[in-house]
Amino acid sequence: MARRLRGAGKARSIGVEEDGLRSAVMDEKKAAILQEIPRLRRYARALLRDRDSADDLVQDSLERALLRMDNWRTGESPRRWLFTIMHHLFIDQMRKVSRRGEAAILPLEASEALATPAIQAESVASREIVDALQQISPDRRAALVMVAIEGFSYAEAATMLGVPAGTLMSRIARGREELRGLLDDQARRRAIRIVEK
Amino acid sequence: MSARSFTDRDIHLALDGELPEDERAAYQMWLEANPDMKARSLRFAADNAALRNLFAGVLEEPVPVRLEAVVNGEGPRRKQATPWWRMAAAAALLIAGGLGGYLAGMNGIGMGGDSDDRMAQLAIAAHQTFAADKNRPVEVDGSDQAYLTGWLSKRTGLRLVAPDLSNDGFTLLGGRLVPADGSTAALMLYADADGNRISVYVVAEGSERTKGTFTLASGGPEAVYWQDEGYGCAIVGTLPPEQMGTVARNAYKQLIAGAGQART
Repeated sequence: MARRLRGAGKARSIGVEEDGLRSAVMDEKKAAILQEIPRLRRYARALLRDRDSADDLVQDSLERALLRMDNWRTGESPRRWLFTIMHHLFIDQMRKVSRRGEAAILPLEASEALATPAIQAESVASREIVDALQQISPDRRAALVMVAIEGFSYAEAATMLGVPAGTLMSRIARGREELRGLLDDQARRRAIRIVEK
Repeated sequence: MSARSFTDRDIHLALDGELPEDERAAYQMWLEANPDMKARSLRFAADNAALRNLFAGVLEEPVPVRLEAVVNGEGPRRKQATPWWRMAAAAALLIAGGLGGYLAGMNGIGMGGDSDDRMAQLAIAAHQTFAADKNRPVEVDGSDQAYLTGWLSKRTGLRLVAPDLSNDGFTLLGGRLVPADGSTAALMLYADADGNRISVYVVAEGSERTKGTFTLASGGPEAVYWQDEGYGCAIVGTLPPEQMGTVARNAYKQLIAGAGQART
């Protein structure tokens, strides 16, 4: 395993050891993975907002995927396999962040959530949604994004997130309600400001 | 066809295409009979559409070369601790407020880099921690300004005044001490009639002269800051940029004047 790890950066070092058939399968798998990158980037962007951070997460996921090619059975959807890997990395990192002493994080006031553009040509409304999305908990955000943006079914999302269907449903419901609540708060604040001007 | 009763949970199921085919007609009737639920469903549907639209463009973006290189086995391997995660950790430490803080990147500016960035980050962290605290944002309230500024001056080693920002609609709530890099900073909080809060963060800091604005890549409040003659100061808030600028200039003039260092 240690040897595989060291050599993993170069496809050729694996190719040398494999026969031609396996390396053809490998190429096919790589092509399938390449096709999924745009989707992975979108999921990461919705989770992390910041473009570079999101692409770093995608890169970490791809690196891990390449180390674990054997875990991906031919015929299985590369999409679900890759999303699962990425989700685990995302949640692991979120936990590490929170273990660094910030577990007792207070919910931010919605008014605190002004933003720098994550998406080009962001309007105020879209910025508010991106901000609100970032304020809901990582678990709920992941569930909501998988279903609402990525279009996975509940069953698929539950499998990828590794939670029972009931848990997934409640994360989606709570996440969506939380998101709407944050947006309502922002709208109220705006209305108050306009009235008082 | 079931005669089951629906709940708001079914709104989510319907929206996500998880409602069984044979229940959809009954669900629609239920919606029509419950205007509240229908309104709720429409709001959620609109949010869903907005989310999808917002991120749809990502699919059209060219894939960064470094990502393709990873798959093709060409890319240089990155360091073990990946930047995004270190940035997110650092940002969470700094922000200490808001789950959004989990996710922050740092505006493309290196962590722990220039002292002015660092100061702005600390000022934002202090603002996010204390300005968000509805009941106890300050240690000493602003009713006795002489006492407040005397105390803050003594502890920071600076000659401090509490700027009068009433022309900008802000009144002084009070102040507190906050930790800075190896020293102590003063944080003075102000609020306007809308409940917007801004903070003025002052710390004894280096000898460079710099100024600028700083926002975490994750969003959140903006810091307008400067360093001058051993004073480091940041005004932090979420006001529109022009208003931030006005308030910051106003505060700057008064702080510098108060320090007996009027300069332009």
